[in-house]
Amino acid sequence: MIQWRSVRHLDPWIVLVGLALAGFGSLLIYSASLTSYPEGIQGLSHPAIRHLTFAAMGLVVIGLMAWLDYRLLGQVTPTLYAVALVLLVGVLVVGTTIYGAQRWLNFAGLSIQASEVAKLLVIVVLAKYLADRQTEIGELRTFLGSLVIVAVPTALVFLEPDLGTAIIFGAAWLGMVAVAGVRPQHILAFLATLALSTPFVVVALMGDYQRERIATFLNPALDPLGGGFNMIQAEISIGSGGIFGKGLTEGTQTQLDYLQTPSRDYIFSVLGEELGLMGALLLLALFTFLLFRGLRTASLARDPFGRLIATGIVIMILFQVFINVGVNIRLLPVTGIPLPFVSEGGSSILMLFVALGLLESILLRHKQIEF
Amino acid sequence: MDFFSGERRWRSQKPRRREDAHSPGRKFLLLHILIVLLFSILTIQLVRMQVFQADDYQAQAENNRLRELQVLPARGLIYDRNYDREQPLVENVASYSAVIVPADLPAKEEAAVFDQLESLLGMPAEEIAERVREKRQDGDPYEALVIKDELDRDTALMLKELSSYLPGIDLQVDARRNYLYGELTAHILGYVGRISAEEYAALKDDGYIFNDQLGKTGIELVHEDTLRGEPGKKLVEVDAGGRQQDVLDSQSSQPGQSIVLTIDLDLQQRTADVLREFMGASDNAAAVVMDVHTGEILAMVSLPTYDNNIFSETLGEEELDVLLNDPAKPLVNHAIAEMYPPGSSFKPITGLAALQEDVATPSTTIVSNGYITVTNEYDPSVVYVFPDWAALGTLDFYGGIAWSSDVYFYYLAGGKQDEGFQGLGEERLAQYARSFGLGEPTGVDLPGESAGLVPDAKWKERTVNEMWYVGDTYYFGIGQGYLAVTPLQLLDAIVAIANGGELLRPQLVKEVRDSHDHVVASFGKDVRRILPVNEDYLAVVREAMRQSVSGGAAQSGQVPGLAVAGKTGTAEFGVAGEGEGLHTHGWFVGFAPYEDPEIAVVVFVQRGGGSQNAAPAAARIFDYYFNQRYVAEQEAP
Repeated sequence: MIQWRSVRHLDPWIVLVGLALAGFGSLLIYSASLTSYPEGIQGLSHPAIRHLTFAAMGLVVIGLMAWLDYRLLGQVTPTLYAVALVLLVGVLVVGTTIYGAQRWLNFAGLSIQASEVAKLLVIVVLAKYLADRQTEIGELRTFLGSLVIVAVPTALVFLEPDLGTAIIFGAAWLGMVAVAGVRPQHILAFLATLALSTPFVVVALMGDYQRERIATFLNPALDPLGGGFNMIQAEISIGSGGIFGKGLTEGTQTQLDYLQTPSRDYIFSVLGEELGLMGALLLLALFTFLLFRGLRTASLARDPFGRLIATGIVIMILFQVFINVGVNIRLLPVTGIPLPFVSEGGSSILMLFVALGLLESILLRHKQIEF
Repeated sequence: MDFFSGERRWRSQKPRRREDAHSPGRKFLLLHILIVLLFSILTIQLVRMQVFQADDYQAQAENNRLRELQVLPARGLIYDRNYDREQPLVENVASYSAVIVPADLPAKEEAAVFDQLESLLGMPAEEIAERVREKRQDGDPYEALVIKDELDRDTALMLKELSSYLPGIDLQVDARRNYLYGELTAHILGYVGRISAEEYAALKDDGYIFNDQLGKTGIELVHEDTLRGEPGKKLVEVDAGGRQQDVLDSQSSQPGQSIVLTIDLDLQQRTADVLREFMGASDNAAAVVMDVHTGEILAMVSLPTYDNNIFSETLGEEELDVLLNDPAKPLVNHAIAEMYPPGSSFKPITGLAALQEDVATPSTTIVSNGYITVTNEYDPSVVYVFPDWAALGTLDFYGGIAWSSDVYFYYLAGGKQDEGFQGLGEERLAQYARSFGLGEPTGVDLPGESAGLVPDAKWKERTVNEMWYVGDTYYFGIGQGYLAVTPLQLLDAIVAIANGGELLRPQLVKEVRDSHDHVVASFGKDVRRILPVNEDYLAVVREAMRQSVSGGAAQSGQVPGLAVAGKTGTAEFGVAGEGEGLHTHGWFVGFAPYEDPEIAVVVFVQRGGGSQNAAPAAARIFDYYFNQRYVAEQEAP
């Protein structure tokens, strides 16, 4: 399906940065797991090794996705959309509840985080919808149609409840419709409606746990030993790391169990404590580089479909990073979003490599017309 | 950004496409800016936290991980004067309590932890939850809260096991005081108890911890600083569950020093037995035995007494109420804390004042017809009668004391205007009483000592709002009326007469020993003042007191083979009931041997008589000290 000469169009940086981030994550997971695995790495089941294994699988996934013409996906978008909805409904019906939210589907011995898969599927579906309507892109009908496509899965993850992923769906949609070229008036009108309905959302749609989290975020002292504990401890961990950090595996907060889920949602706190501001800036630099390469892919894409997929992926990763780090450093209320490539979690990291594979697939085909 | 510009270059070479009308290039520029903007927000916050507030956060992280634990020292022991390392009066034994450190409880599983405790301790989980909640609100959640103390060994072991996987729960092992002689030494030793909120607030900078114990009364209180020792410190690293990970630094504790009392345990026991026998049905009684040369207290008994061990355990409200509401006041040390009119046992002091002030000489004779009369200054038809206990006839000074003539001492104290006999008057009498240490605490090493009361005209005007009459002086002279003393004060005054004029501070502590048995401090006699009385007059009074026992009113104080000198007192108090006389307190105060005094004894029996109860009791104590005990010691080796 590919012409081998075009392999030179592949962007090695995307793969390298993705792997670098996963390796970075593996180191942090190793340090964060020392309390549970005081003996260090003694087998393949160690979380750090598992993380590397997923990264290695990710490399294969990138290859597969790059080889596969992304435009084939455009031909099966109704199926993809159906799969996404089935996963999200399925998780609500038979999902496993962890940390107060139903997010996992147990399938053939694998535990799949449905929203991680659904995110990417919906981006592809949305990209196809918008790409097919380039001529009538300024019409309200198109705008509302895209809104409906994204609103259904957003509502489903909101019910899990997973406010963070719902926000990422919204952000990806907003960025994609903007890049697709909908009328700015439509976007502004939508944002105004959203702002006006916020009080209604807070009162009627939010669960108690979400309101509590927001109240705790505003004043963690309300519950210093309960829900506020994680926020305060994460903040202390990062702040106490200073400029250069306490050294990998030397963080007192991390190693003495003051952080909860230190290898998942709070892995940035481990980074902040043990590697300090320098480590944090390195991480942000890697992400910036990766996202810029993603935008380059978007701008090089041969068609709107590829451009929109790339845009959606960039925005998805950007907002995951921003929300995850923002929660860790107490800019945002607690919501369970993993740090892309770095947090432990197979579904998340594999789907991210699928996304990188899509980017490569788009690059691989962008200049085929010229040859 | 060069990716972006490169892309632009490529774009510019191409014919413009339709979608370029919507200028996606500009949108990508906006997306680049969005990325930089969002990451800049994160960076600003990171710099704020990790650069500008890093010190603050580091302090918080240290505060999380480091706990400074107090290592409590072993409390010093207390011994009687015959120091034997193996035979203390009090020992430290282990006691187990269940404690919770609220901050270490697992946030989500508190209820489960409480349920576990409920089944182990048999204490409702709601009550535990409530106490933890209160502690969180009012106190430091990092401080251990005692949920239940006095656990038995089995429960303690189970709790210890449980605590290894229930964060926040711990077994606290404290030393509890076990007073081996309980009631016998309770008033002297006192007891320790858990530190109160107020005490903790005042003492936490001195190394006391929240659940600490400290002396509450008695020697335990007065010598708290000596007995406590120096607490040690241990700096430990703990994890989020409060489990100790590592000891970073430690400074060992210095055990408390031991106190060797002046008390002789055998004599104390005998004194208590004798007093109990002679107090009869009276509410309470006290006796003190003192070394006349050093002021050392050899025995001090107050009855009824209490078992101070009950305060080492958690005292129930009812138990405490019973002790507090008992009319005989078992918690009060009647030898020092309550004051009573001394009655005739005060006469030696009146006599000494009269001799020193030339109001009388040893040969001054006065006739007692059984009473004395005083005519009202303004209305001669009103005549007041002051009775003697008997018509004792003609008495010289020795006879006056020996037969305890009230009339004799009415003369010495208040004079007899119509016969031209000048008495001491209240002012001089009060002055002498005070110079004998009455009206002020003796300074014994025990808390709650009463100062007693030495009245004078000014005092009466101020307090009773009445003028001082000559009758008041008469009563004062025979130890009645407003005068009030503690048994220890009276004994201390008589000791000064016996030893030739040194008023001593009563001693309870002989020496202090450190944990290696070395004497680190010993206490000799502490002279408060020299009596302002000629030594010859002291000898006169001593002889008069000897005559009182050998052939006077205090003959019930005689001991075979021993020359006891002493003075009884039967002090009237209160208001006469119908058809009966006033209630009386019985006193005996004396010393022996007469020729070369060694010890002095005071016996006080509330609602008793001097010669019926107090003097025979004192005689038994003297007898034990000089005859039986001496013989026993001789036979022992």
